[in-house]
Amino acid sequence: MFKELDPILHSQLRLAVVSLLIGVKEAEFTFIKEKTNATAGNLSVQIQKLKDVGYIEVEKQFKDNYPLTTCSITKKGVEAFEKYVKALQSYLDAGKK
Amino acid sequence: MSNEKKLTEQESLQLITTMIQKAKASYHERGISAILWGTVVAVASLVTYLRREFDFNVPFDPFLLVLAAIIPQIFISIKQGRENKVTKFEDTAINAVWLVYGISIFALIFYQNVVPSATIELCRQDGWQLMIHYLDGSKPDEPLHPFVPSVYSLFLLLYAFPTLVTGIAKKYAPMTVGAIITYILFIASCYTASKYDMLFGTIAALVCWLIPGIILRRKYLKQKSSNV
Repeated sequence: MFKELDPILHSQLRLAVVSLLIGVKEAEFTFIKEKTNATAGNLSVQIQKLKDVGYIEVEKQFKDNYPLTTCSITKKGVEAFEKYVKALQSYLDAGKK
Repeated sequence: MSNEKKLTEQESLQLITTMIQKAKASYHERGISAILWGTVVAVASLVTYLRREFDFNVPFDPFLLVLAAIIPQIFISIKQGRENKVTKFEDTAINAVWLVYGISIFALIFYQNVVPSATIELCRQDGWQLMIHYLDGSKPDEPLHPFVPSVYSLFLLLYAFPTLVTGIAKKYAPMTVGAIITYILFIASCYTASKYDMLFGTIAALVCWLIPGIILRRKYLKQKSSNV
């Protein structure tokens, strides 16, 4: 029986964001935008979706009079990511048999 | 990157790998701080060694250079804090280690300056004083001003500690090697005259900070130019 892939993570941009955040403590919005090559609008929407399910935390503050958005992965996000990778592996293992 | 594109399992794994690598590759120490501290500590130690070896004087304590380097370091830290768009997990811990190292260095300088005078005073209160007694009787006994023997060995020990932590945590071999060399210098310094400890201090500053800093800087500039 295959584990169902988490629909929140099984989307290109959201998975890219979570994969970026998994290895760092926190990252600025501009960094994520630059690395994913996404548009600011689309990225904002996907970040909000990840925040709504509790996979990431978003902190908004001001730095040198400019708005600064910082994102970090939550414990729930790490668990979801690990579960997603395990599910992927089970699919791939089944494909090899 | 679009959002709604359906991913195959292979594509998902590929995407995860790519993004993790991008996060790793995007982060590089600039090496400026390591170059700054490596230079000032190497120069201060070398000048002190030369001063003692060749018996000449300079109008100020060369280690004041190290104190003065705090000012540019503050500016470097502020600038880097502004430029860093991503923070790694180990950064907080490593920064704390270097902060504790700075405090420990100042504590050791305080100890070095205060203990001799305090020892004289404590001895005086007990009604005795330390004396030099020449075994061959060539000179009469004379009062000894206490000092901390081979104190620079302790500085070498301190130099190695945060460097080794950084080298291991960041998996940065030049700093790990530099710290190991400094531990060896520490052992050697326990057996040599204090003026040579200063020479060891110069070598320690070169291998712990200046050389690793230059390597970091070159990597950083190379990466920066490739991103343009």
